[in-house]
Amino acid sequence: MNKHILIALIGTMLILLGCTDVQESTSVGTTVSAIDTEKNVEESQAIVLLSGLPTLDTKDSIAIIEVDPESKNFGNILYDYPLPKFDAPLHHLYYSPNGRLYATGLGTQCSLAEIGLARNAQSKPIITKVECIDTQGQSVGEDIMWHSVNGKLHMFVTFMGGTDLSQVDAGSIGVFDPQTNKVLKIIEARKSQVGEGKPYIMYPHGISAYEDRMVVTSTVHPNLTDGVGNAVTVIDLNTFEPIENIVTEDAKPVGFPSSPVEVLFIRPSIVEGVKPAVLVNTMFGFETWKIPYDAKTKIFAKPEKLYDGSTAGTGVPLEFYGNDNELFISHAIPGLVKRYDLKSLPELVPSGKDIKSELGAHHMIFYSSASGRKLIAIQNNLLNLGNAKDNDPTDVDFIAKVNDHSITVHDLTTGERLGMINFKDKYMKGIDNIEALFGSGFTHHH
Amino acid sequence: MPNLNSLVKVFFLSVVITVTSTYFFSMSKKPDTQLVEFTAPFIFGRFQIPKENPLTVESVKLGRRLFYDPLLSKNNKISCASCHKQSLAFTDGLALSVGGSGKKLAFNSMSLVNLMWGPKHFFWDGRSNSLENQALQPIVHIDEMDSNLDDLIEELSEVKAYQILFGQAYGELNAVSIAKALANFQRTLISSNSRYDQFLRGEVSLSKQEELGRKLFMAHPDTKISLRGGNCIDCHSQFLTSGFTAAFDGFSNNGLDNDENLSEGLYGLTKLESHRGLFKAPTLRNIAVTAPYMHDGRFKTLEEVLAHYNGGIKISKTLSPLIVEADNLANMQGEHISLNLEPHEVEAIISFLHTLTDESFLINKAFSDPFTAGDLNE
Repeated sequence: MNKHILIALIGTMLILLGCTDVQESTSVGTTVSAIDTEKNVEESQAIVLLSGLPTLDTKDSIAIIEVDPESKNFGNILYDYPLPKFDAPLHHLYYSPNGRLYATGLGTQCSLAEIGLARNAQSKPIITKVECIDTQGQSVGEDIMWHSVNGKLHMFVTFMGGTDLSQVDAGSIGVFDPQTNKVLKIIEARKSQVGEGKPYIMYPHGISAYEDRMVVTSTVHPNLTDGVGNAVTVIDLNTFEPIENIVTEDAKPVGFPSSPVEVLFIRPSIVEGVKPAVLVNTMFGFETWKIPYDAKTKIFAKPEKLYDGSTAGTGVPLEFYGNDNELFISHAIPGLVKRYDLKSLPELVPSGKDIKSELGAHHMIFYSSASGRKLIAIQNNLLNLGNAKDNDPTDVDFIAKVNDHSITVHDLTTGERLGMINFKDKYMKGIDNIEALFGSGFTHHH
Repeated sequence: MPNLNSLVKVFFLSVVITVTSTYFFSMSKKPDTQLVEFTAPFIFGRFQIPKENPLTVESVKLGRRLFYDPLLSKNNKISCASCHKQSLAFTDGLALSVGGSGKKLAFNSMSLVNLMWGPKHFFWDGRSNSLENQALQPIVHIDEMDSNLDDLIEELSEVKAYQILFGQAYGELNAVSIAKALANFQRTLISSNSRYDQFLRGEVSLSKQEELGRKLFMAHPDTKISLRGGNCIDCHSQFLTSGFTAAFDGFSNNGLDNDENLSEGLYGLTKLESHRGLFKAPTLRNIAVTAPYMHDGRFKTLEEVLAHYNGGIKISKTLSPLIVEADNLANMQGEHISLNLEPHEVEAIISFLHTLTDESFLINKAFSDPFTAGDLNE
């Protein structure tokens, strides 16, 4: 696909949705007179991946920041660990079930890394290492999921660039030994190789699994020009082979393939007694789909469109996150998080008003303030690519427009915005990802 | 009316006292100390060191010597280490410890490990709310070390080494600084290199049996989803394997006795009936070397411990509901409470418990007896 067409279409998409650059708002953080000294203050600290912006001469780093608007340190970097210069930034943090910290990376030099997290004698979190993992040539890491196959835990990683980024239908799933980080298998089935009508894997991004069935999405070629997907691939974990593609596409509001991005296999461990189904967000289709699944027959039913952003005024739905009661879906345009009743899943039954953040609403964490107020922090950045206005060579227009470079903090109950940290203004950096130090919000992420 | 000569003498004496005390005060209040450096696993969680007792190299050095010094007891024969032996993960191998009086004490000697994490109340019955507070209790207990603190301070003051060490660590030798030093030495007793730790770091893999045991340890049984579990994690946290930190969450009645024979336990501290029979869930770090088990050391082996949870539970009004409902067979719990684990599952859990042994901790020179290690002059 031609890059210019892509840019033009996304520009159109933004205009259709009435989005413009949004000015930074200021913090309206509240104060408290007494802080509960017994409260674990780390609960309101987040670990973030920060990107140096080429025109601002800043460098990538991993930072720990204070995100409690009640704290005098709100928005401050408490700890900063400079990263080596890679060809693209680290993208997403994940905790393994054993508490090990990993990051995927959007380039070819460090597409998957393990990050050493420890405490010093003052109990402060410190980073001891960032170790790039040998992916056997797989590049542009996106999502990680730990899942047991026949009783044995595996680490699955989606690589949008597959084993060769120059392939127009690139993409692979890396299966790793979760203890040693060694590649056990590369699941690869390029469209051009498997033959017409055969199940393929292309630009895999989102990943989720239930029992012996794994689903991955087909999103977009990492160079954002060579192609866009429109299907979910089902993988049989008994054989590690793709067995089915399920198209989730309808209105094409911007004329593109739908570009499924994140998936969530709704399963009994998330909602007790639930009839399993896969939820799919389509980045360019602006939709959320449901694919019902019969665990007895192992058959996926015809997809049903649950949510249509082109009629509801939202675009680029991205992430699924959950807590004990609700499921949250971020929509990069106009920058908001929708919330749904967890028990009603896989149907999307709204559980409250939208939480209005900023363009690029993406990852999120849940935590409490010093006074016990329940909060949500939303990272507003689609990708840390630059803006041509700044003579930034990494510019892709539409992405620059959905990069607010901010974290907004909201009251979880009311959605009221309590504070904002703009990383570009304050630190001359972009923000790629946010994760709680405790890993909250991770449970229902995949 | 006092004569002038007397007044001059008093004035002169008071000046001398003021000057010297100011000198010693200034010398003693601000000793030049150095903070201990270490790293601990992030997954152990956050810890807090009291602001008034920073973890300094000097205080730890002093605390280590005090810990091993029989001078702390009235008969000069019993030290803290008499009941807390490093090779036994700082326990003593007895069901009930025996102190200076020769009488059996009320409780089994608790392992001293990872004390900066887990419940913030110490002793089996939680009667102490800080390590500093805990440290002096055995010293003055009539059946343990039976010391009079004033006498002890006088005795320690006569030892040149202690004059120097207390001066370096706290500037003064008193009961508070004794407690602080002992507390700080105990804070450094960190065990984080067992095979389980190495497994968590990805350095080793567990055997099939150990891995089965780990999974059972970490699971509360749920027959509805065919999840088998040993229910250990309900009281012993995932990474520390200790009781939980918040409030009294780290205390539990694990079914050792029926109502008739229920000991006071935490009730002794809180006077709440709901706390009768609740005891501290201890760390399971190095559990394979800390037999016998439970607050009264009633079980000689880990097999006996598992047999207790697998059919030996006694019902009482404060029995943990997490134990009551933990059953690997559906609808079986009634008068007879049991995990209903298979024999191979019991063996697997015991196998996993052995992975919690940290051999390097048991021989770490920094925790050893300085009187025999020959590093008193370091």
